[in-house]
Amino acid sequence: MNLFNIPHNELLQHLLNGLTLGAIYSLIALGYTMVYGILKFINFAHGEILMLGAYAGYYVYYLICDPSQGGSFVILAFILSLLTAMVISASLGIFIERVAYRPLRKAPRLAPLLSAIGVSIILMNLAALFFGTKSRKFDYPFDNSTIQLDGTSITPNQIMILVVGLIMMTALKLFIDKSRLGKAMRATSQNQPVAALMGINVNFIISLTFAIGSALAAVAGIMMSLEFKLYPTMGQMAGLKAFIAAVVGGIGNISGAMLGGILLGLLETFGVVILGIPQGLKDTIAFSVLIIILLVKPSGLLIKNIREKV
Amino acid sequence: MKKLLSVLVSFMLLFALACGKESDVVKAGETIKIGFLGPMTGDAGNYGKLMSQAVKVAVEEFNAAGGAEGFNAEVLVEDTEGKVEKANPAIEKLAGVDKVFGIVGSVFSSVSLAVAPKAEASKIVMISPSSTHKDLPEKGKFIFRDVMSDALQAIVFGKYLAKVENVKTVAILYIKNDYSQGLAMDFKAQFEKEGGKVVAVETALQGDKDFKTQLTKIKGANPEAIYFPNYVAEIAQMLEQSKQLGIKAKFYSADGFSNPQILELAGDLANGVIYTQAAEQPTSQKRKDFEAKYQAKWGEKPDAFSLNAYDGAWIMLNAIKATSSKAMGGNLKVDRDKVRDFVAKTKDYDGASGKITFTDNGDLVANIGIYTAENKKFKQLKMFKLDGEKLVEIK
Repeated sequence: MNLFNIPHNELLQHLLNGLTLGAIYSLIALGYTMVYGILKFINFAHGEILMLGAYAGYYVYYLICDPSQGGSFVILAFILSLLTAMVISASLGIFIERVAYRPLRKAPRLAPLLSAIGVSIILMNLAALFFGTKSRKFDYPFDNSTIQLDGTSITPNQIMILVVGLIMMTALKLFIDKSRLGKAMRATSQNQPVAALMGINVNFIISLTFAIGSALAAVAGIMMSLEFKLYPTMGQMAGLKAFIAAVVGGIGNISGAMLGGILLGLLETFGVVILGIPQGLKDTIAFSVLIIILLVKPSGLLIKNIREKV
Repeated sequence: MKKLLSVLVSFMLLFALACGKESDVVKAGETIKIGFLGPMTGDAGNYGKLMSQAVKVAVEEFNAAGGAEGFNAEVLVEDTEGKVEKANPAIEKLAGVDKVFGIVGSVFSSVSLAVAPKAEASKIVMISPSSTHKDLPEKGKFIFRDVMSDALQAIVFGKYLAKVENVKTVAILYIKNDYSQGLAMDFKAQFEKEGGKVVAVETALQGDKDFKTQLTKIKGANPEAIYFPNYVAEIAQMLEQSKQLGIKAKFYSADGFSNPQILELAGDLANGVIYTQAAEQPTSQKRKDFEAKYQAKWGEKPDAFSLNAYDGAWIMLNAIKATSSKAMGGNLKVDRDKVRDFVAKTKDYDGASGKITFTDNGDLVANIGIYTAENKKFKQLKMFKLDGEKLVEIK
């Protein structure tokens, strides 16, 4: 027993549950934060890109294999469908930006926001129309039997979510901090006209941002479907939560989005377990955190480091 | 002045009433409209889809048999998405614009409870195929259901677990809606009355997918059994996550489990889950015919609620046929009160779901079956009825 009067293994279990949830939020939050960092605009259709990415992965997966058979071919098919889903989602992200946001880039800031909400509603309903509204099961590509460790359980899928989340986030961070394109992205986010004067193709950078954010969303979408099934409205609440995570960490800041996501996942779990917040108010925790952060520290936990430009 | 006003008002009222009568006439060449109210889209869309298809089969048969005085019936399907806020405009449309004579629905208890007052006020016979909340029949004279009450289901199950299965400790995880909460509370009261112990009660919201926090807490309480009185989308998640957390308890559920989608969503995990549902009556020829017709028309099997929806539609159409008469100008006159009275008198109606008898307040007289899922099929294990306070097994 410990401070909270909960057995250690149970506490560890909650920690694990919170972390997996948080890793998914983080992956989605990255897309929000990247777009915001560059365009100062929140892409509310991000959750739907996630959902469509998951459906794309689902169809490719079941087209090339029968997951019930198991074996290494299924794992190969899974990786292949993951990659295909990333490509499809990325193209979708670029397409949406071209059609719904680029024409409005010079418009007042409310206009692209409304356009984003419109895109979100259209995509969700199209998905409901074409894929049907029932939940679908996304079979695990591997044996998902629980691994028991001293009263605490972890599934291979949870491990995969944590590992893939970590890899994706580190890769993105490295890409933005170290590569030339990442540098161009950072420049674009700081000052678009000047970046353009320095020879950076701003339109290309913006498309690239949407592509990367959407590809990450596809990964998050497939992870979510494995864990929570596949359905047309899956992006809605997850998108909102990830948006909160992005704001909590400091919107526009990559590390902030990761931190915010993990923090939100843990808060949702431990708010219920330790603070005794009724389970029915679980979603309220996330939104209360949003309000508190906006009141106390509107720039988010990790304030973006803005260098003076001379 | 006041007197004049009151006279005026009463005249207007009379006038309004007289006008209201207009809605009880089906003009020559038009159809007798009945409504179906249920979730056609959303997470629960599958329930509404299966049931509305059953109503369509009933209407088709009714028309093929000549309808009422040569008038054909028609079913108008309104989508509620399983939500009260969507159901309110839907019932307003059915009652105000379409002026339907009966409604098969609604599907979820929360929704049925919300729309019942409007159906009652508009004198629309409402027969719910699946709303099992114990308070529903109390909502009015026009409100019926041909599915058994939760109270009965929960009481029988509480007794069954304590007395027949000899389970001592149970944890409950329910979704905060009228159906699940009603079942959970009634079950808890009964199980504790029988000497059992409820070691944990956890809740979640409709639409939630992650129940690991609740299940981890339940695991800590170490119950012998867990009761999930919810709908399939949630039950599938709960079963899977329980397994992931290494929970060894036995799983129990209620009739929400009977939607065949559970077999697909939960796969092998559905095996061995024990649940209650209205007792299966000997498979009648009527049921076989209906199932064959349904399969041929829609290419899928009807669920238990679809049988109820089919019977409900027929009871209502029979009542309309028996009580309406040809009026002037080739119109059909339908008396809403007479339709209601005819439905209320239903006794031993030979339906696809079995013999249907309504109690005085419009509830279904029912025996309870204990079922389980086995190799992608549902199977009835035992059958019980309540004899006063006593649980009696029907052999």
